[in-house]
Amino acid sequence: MVKKYRNFKEIGDAVVIYSDNYINDIEGEKLEDLCASYLDRGFTRIVIDFSETDLVNSIGVSILIGIIEKVRDSKGRISFSGLKRVNHDIFSIVGLTKHIQIFDTEEDAVNARARQGMVTT
Amino acid sequence: MKHRALFATCPDGEFFGRVSEIDSILRRASSERRPAPSILLFGGRWTGKTEVLRRVFHNLFWGQARCVPVYYQFKGYGTVEDFSEDYLKEVLKQYLAFRMREPKFVRDGISLDKIEKLLVDNDMYGLADIAALHREARKSGDASAALKNAMHAPLAITRLSGIPVYMILDDIDLAEYQGPLGRSTAVARELISSLSSSDFSFVAAASSRRVLEGGVFGSIEAMELNGLDEDLSSSMMIDLCRQYGVDADTEMLKLAAFRLDGNPMYLKSLVWAAAKSGLKLKSLKDFADLYTQELFDGNIGFALRAAMGLKSINDLRVLHACSGALFPVSDEDLMERFRFSAPEMREILNSLSGAGLVEVNLGSVRWAGDSTVKDFVYFIYETRVKGRSSDEVRTYLAREVLKQGFDFKGSRISVSLFNEASGIVRSFNNQKILKVLFRNQAFNSKFKNGAYKVSADRKEDEEFDLPQVVGSFDTMRLESGEAGPPILVAHGFQNGRYDAGSEVVWIVSVKDSPSPVNLGDVENFLRRSMILRENFRAARLVRWMIGRDGFTAEAQKKMDSEGVYSSDPVQLRIIKEGLGDVDGASRLRTAEKIVPVKEFEVVLPSATKAELVAARAVEEIGTEMGFDEVAIGQMKAALVEACINGFEHSRNRTARVFLRFVSSVDRLTIYVQNTGVDFDAAAASGASRDAEAGLPRKRGWGFELMRGLMDEVRMEKVRGGAKIVLVKYLVKKGDGRNGQEV
Repeated sequence: MVKKYRNFKEIGDAVVIYSDNYINDIEGEKLEDLCASYLDRGFTRIVIDFSETDLVNSIGVSILIGIIEKVRDSKGRISFSGLKRVNHDIFSIVGLTKHIQIFDTEEDAVNARARQGMVTT
Repeated sequence: MKHRALFATCPDGEFFGRVSEIDSILRRASSERRPAPSILLFGGRWTGKTEVLRRVFHNLFWGQARCVPVYYQFKGYGTVEDFSEDYLKEVLKQYLAFRMREPKFVRDGISLDKIEKLLVDNDMYGLADIAALHREARKSGDASAALKNAMHAPLAITRLSGIPVYMILDDIDLAEYQGPLGRSTAVARELISSLSSSDFSFVAAASSRRVLEGGVFGSIEAMELNGLDEDLSSSMMIDLCRQYGVDADTEMLKLAAFRLDGNPMYLKSLVWAAAKSGLKLKSLKDFADLYTQELFDGNIGFALRAAMGLKSINDLRVLHACSGALFPVSDEDLMERFRFSAPEMREILNSLSGAGLVEVNLGSVRWAGDSTVKDFVYFIYETRVKGRSSDEVRTYLAREVLKQGFDFKGSRISVSLFNEASGIVRSFNNQKILKVLFRNQAFNSKFKNGAYKVSADRKEDEEFDLPQVVGSFDTMRLESGEAGPPILVAHGFQNGRYDAGSEVVWIVSVKDSPSPVNLGDVENFLRRSMILRENFRAARLVRWMIGRDGFTAEAQKKMDSEGVYSSDPVQLRIIKEGLGDVDGASRLRTAEKIVPVKEFEVVLPSATKAELVAARAVEEIGTEMGFDEVAIGQMKAALVEACINGFEHSRNRTARVFLRFVSSVDRLTIYVQNTGVDFDAAAASGASRDAEAGLPRKRGWGFELMRGLMDEVRMEKVRGGAKIVLVKYLVKKGDGRNGQEV
């Protein structure tokens, strides 16, 4: 069953969260809260879709790293999708691309089978 | 030698321009071609030669591995033995520092014995032998052997290590020092012998081209460092006034920059003096007061007094006579006027030309100082020789400065445009250039909104060869009494052939007034150029008109029918930018890239998401310049980081961040300045990376992101704040390199 809301979509045990146009401290914290609430509700797969995101600043990056930590601590899985080139560059510079699966589209991310290790597209 | 200063270059906030010169030296130094072309960098006092060389050293030390940079600054004192030891020590320790990536060897005072030990400890026995040889030579009192050993050490290192040494030699003209301690010409002789080797290359700075006389260095490229151009120097003044909190008027700063010949030391001294004494730079009188105060009692006067080193009152008399003469004076006239004997005259002229104050050529003595030195000479002559009081002379000079400043305000455009044109013509050196830059009508039809539209037939986008100009002058003396704008005459040769058939004369008219060149101006120019032509027996004549405000339609028609070239300041700017260095000239050949230098300033208030305004601005500017989407995205992200950093480290919550965007032919440079205390040093150095193998650290990514996304990132402290400089190079759209891979 698929439930779609303004900024997230629930698909079985997975949730796709659509991030804002600019990820700074405020938007990053919103994302963090949203992820925490889904983990609390028992969702084990989180996909953050960045299709609408033009910029992620360094504070946004640090919050995203915190989110990844929390998801892993909860034995869940997190992946990113729809990254624009500049955001991919940013994640690559900080080394996040080695630690997280990145997909072209949210569908690819949701349909991806659980894999160990790092895969990027 | 002040090695502490070798790594600590002048902050970017106080160092303007010279980017193309530094780039050009770096490209040659680290080119794959061996040996790399050697360069002589010459220019007047305090034009920034030492800083250029230090920046070259800094860049080569940290940014490449093709050659080993070694910096040495010659001094005008010391014995041959002292010099040999100092030189050898610097060569060996800087080699060690580079190979072991240990800058402290350069910074610290370290004895030759210690260096020898370090070389042995690191299995560099061949190099340790060089140090041992020096020790033996000194022990046996053989100064000549010590000198030879030291001067040839770079060559020996190059051969032993296989990595070429790149010598960066500052104040090379001081190698000729012939003092009472008997250094004589020995050092200069050995220096020439060592630099003539084909195994390694060098860049050397000197105050005049004299070093090149006689072709002792064989093939060497000469690079002239003049004062900063008007735009750069006024921009430097504006920035400095902002940093030091000096209340100033932009027009007045432009005048000051012009009056001080764009000399960075004079410009800085004036602003420092204003800041120190709490004076403003808002009116002509403010400038005149400050200038005379600096010249008589301030930093400029102190520096000039030390640098000129006048030995006698006769030196001063000759200097005063030369500085006041409109044309070169003959040495015979000077001898007769001051009743000097020939040996006395020779000694005085040697001393003055050695200090770069006059140029002596076949008995003709020409003033070589700038207008500030001229004012200083006037001051000391009037007080010491004529016995006038300081206050009296100061009043007179202040009055003159005010009068000149008033004239300048009326005719500022003419002087700068003529000088600009003159500088451009002098830099013609067989480059190829687009024809359209000399055809105003064709250019204007396709140059819209700061971009040049390439024509379908590309006829106007063809190139032609510029001559190699060997000399130029204005026609003031030839045309006394003639009405009309000044005319510049330049002699040169076409296609690198020095025969009568390839000789060419360019006659250039510069209309300075704020009205377009009209038919009358063209006819006046054609008539005058016909008369002038009689003075030259050149096979070919090229006529070029430059108009501050462009050309009327009738004038264009007449010029087309007569084959006269035409350019406006936009075209002139593009020509100038491309002629600066060889690569720049080749870039100019790409018509699609014709974009003039433009500057934009944005002030960001301390507000939520204010950095997005900066991102929006860079998107607009980048798009207009032709950056692709990827590069624009990278610049936006880097600029957002710089702005956040600026706000984070501001002194107070309401502080603002100042942005300056400078777009030029091949790059966009963004200056981000705050009024804060400092950057986060650890983050800036990039040294705080987490050691753990897990997830990346959470904080402190700002500078690394900037560095990863931009082509160049520089950080510096400036008084009253901090500055980040971001540079992105423009690569042709669609060639896949615009927006580099991260």
